[in-house]
Amino acid sequence: MPEMATAHAASSAGGGVLAIEHRQHRQRLIALALLVIALLVLPLGLNNYTQFVVNTMLVYCLVALGFNVIIGYLGQLAFASAAFFGVGAYAAGLSMARLGLPFPAAILVGAVSGAIVGGLVGLPALRVRGHYLAIITLAVGELLRWCYVHMDSITYGPGGFTLPPMHVMGLPLTDRTKYYIFLLCAAIAIGMTSMLLRSRFGRAFAAVRNNEQAAASLGIAVRRAKVLAFAWSGLIVGLAGALFAVLNGRVSPESFGLAQVLFHFAIVMIGGLASVLGSILGAVLLTGAPELLRNFPGSEEVVFSLLLILVLFFLPRGLSGLLADHFPFLRERLYRGGRDA
Amino acid sequence: MLAQLLISGISVGCVYALVALGMTILFRATTIVNFCHGEFFMLGAFGVLVPLQLFGWPYPAAIATSLALLLLVGSMTERVLIRPLKNAPFVTLAMMTVALSFFLRGVSRFFYGREVVPLPPLVTGDPIELGKFAMLFPQDLLVISFTAVVVVLLAIFFAKTQLGKVIQAASQTPRGASLVGINVPLLRNVMWAAGAFMGAAAGILIAPSTLVHPDMGGTMLIRAFAAMCLGGFGSLPGAVVGGITLGILENIVGGYVSSSLVDITAYLVIVIVLVLRPQGIFGEWRQGRA
Repeated sequence: MPEMATAHAASSAGGGVLAIEHRQHRQRLIALALLVIALLVLPLGLNNYTQFVVNTMLVYCLVALGFNVIIGYLGQLAFASAAFFGVGAYAAGLSMARLGLPFPAAILVGAVSGAIVGGLVGLPALRVRGHYLAIITLAVGELLRWCYVHMDSITYGPGGFTLPPMHVMGLPLTDRTKYYIFLLCAAIAIGMTSMLLRSRFGRAFAAVRNNEQAAASLGIAVRRAKVLAFAWSGLIVGLAGALFAVLNGRVSPESFGLAQVLFHFAIVMIGGLASVLGSILGAVLLTGAPELLRNFPGSEEVVFSLLLILVLFFLPRGLSGLLADHFPFLRERLYRGGRDA
Repeated sequence: MLAQLLISGISVGCVYALVALGMTILFRATTIVNFCHGEFFMLGAFGVLVPLQLFGWPYPAAIATSLALLLLVGSMTERVLIRPLKNAPFVTLAMMTVALSFFLRGVSRFFYGREVVPLPPLVTGDPIELGKFAMLFPQDLLVISFTAVVVVLLAIFFAKTQLGKVIQAASQTPRGASLVGINVPLLRNVMWAAGAFMGAAAGILIAPSTLVHPDMGGTMLIRAFAAMCLGGFGSLPGAVVGGITLGILENIVGGYVSSSLVDITAYLVIVIVLVLRPQGIFGEWRQGRA
């Protein structure tokens, strides 16, 4: 009889665990559904200006997500995100203005060009590391910016260009329609990036970051992981660039300079390295700031650099590190895939 | 024309060499790549401009103030921002210098963001005729001779003096150096001050021939990087040869090919050198702290 009792207890305990898992699963689904509904009805409460700011936040969420793949997960110091951003914007904008592609196709072109440039920029990363990589990627970004300015016959030169009017099902594209398009793009990109980071490849990125030799000795193809991470980062940031072009309706070279590099850095570092949710958090928090600081020359740089210095001193893992320390149940959400801290 | 291009190339290359030297001595002493060195350069020029124009001080007093100020800035940077992070990974230190560079740039843009200001010439006089085709302007002569003096002094300092050897020892094995009683943090502090000082000196030298504005440091930083990559990262003769080569290259490209290419010569040099021969001419290839 005692055996039966224990067996019974065990089975009921197992059932309990299943029930808890089931309930957690249902809670998660409900939370997700609520989030989706909130995001879908959000534009109803926004005017044109706040809608524009929210759209900008979505763009920078993607930038931070893509940049985090290189700097947070792969652990390489590369200043290339502004370059990918510019390539995406120019490729999308030019394919609309020069080739007359409809804008969904142009967005795809932007993302794919970003991925190609990302892969190419990843090649020097196979040879150089650390500050050498930082310097070479800085140089690549400035080279590209030089191309935007001086290749007038393709890029319309230093003044930039305006995108042709865009339509959705015969109607002109409003900020609200853009919001839904951006939201869809962001959802797909965030979902796919999370999947990639949780896969074999994402774990390979983290292994390369922690110790390249050890990773190689375990049979991880280090070179392939690096090029893949750069190309993926290029894809996501290029997509963000394409959306940035659609958002503003114009593209000009000065949008992709060193100030952009600082902004991307600040978002990722303040949000938290190697955290998908942290990137989103950083982008949402920091995107509103330039709008507030617009009237004072240099104040944007001062505020972002001070924030960056404070974060480097006191929160080396950014806001998501802070959240993970204080709310253990968030830890798993914040650092899914490839984080050892 | 070639002779004239060579002379102005050497002159501008000397300024690159000075900036690169400042970064190199800091890199050798601390293994930190200082991304805010360009801003030290910019602050040096502003440090002369502000007393000169706002307070009406004479030139030598303004220069002395600026140099003293930058010694202080360099030392404070090490003490306040870098030393507390001594156990942090390389990326954090690099980020800290990047953040500081944007901070200094933002501060100067806050005051001087809407104007570009020229500085009066440091020396006046007639250009010296060299042969038939070339002329040497007094400004160029000053830059070249100052650089030569700095290079010779640095070479003597690192090769012959006790302190120079101590500094090299401290950078090679900081722990071993502290064990034999060398005050490593103090030395690092001194090297930061010296690096900032050299950046400021270069800024003061070039400001009369260019304009003073908040973004002058960023472009100079890239050129110093190009000089260091070309000569070999961390090599003192490399920084000098790389800087002068880059200056000549820029002038020749600008004179014979296209003036719009001058701006990207440095970028092209960086990309080509790091991809093909990362150790540079003098080959002091160190991966550093990665």
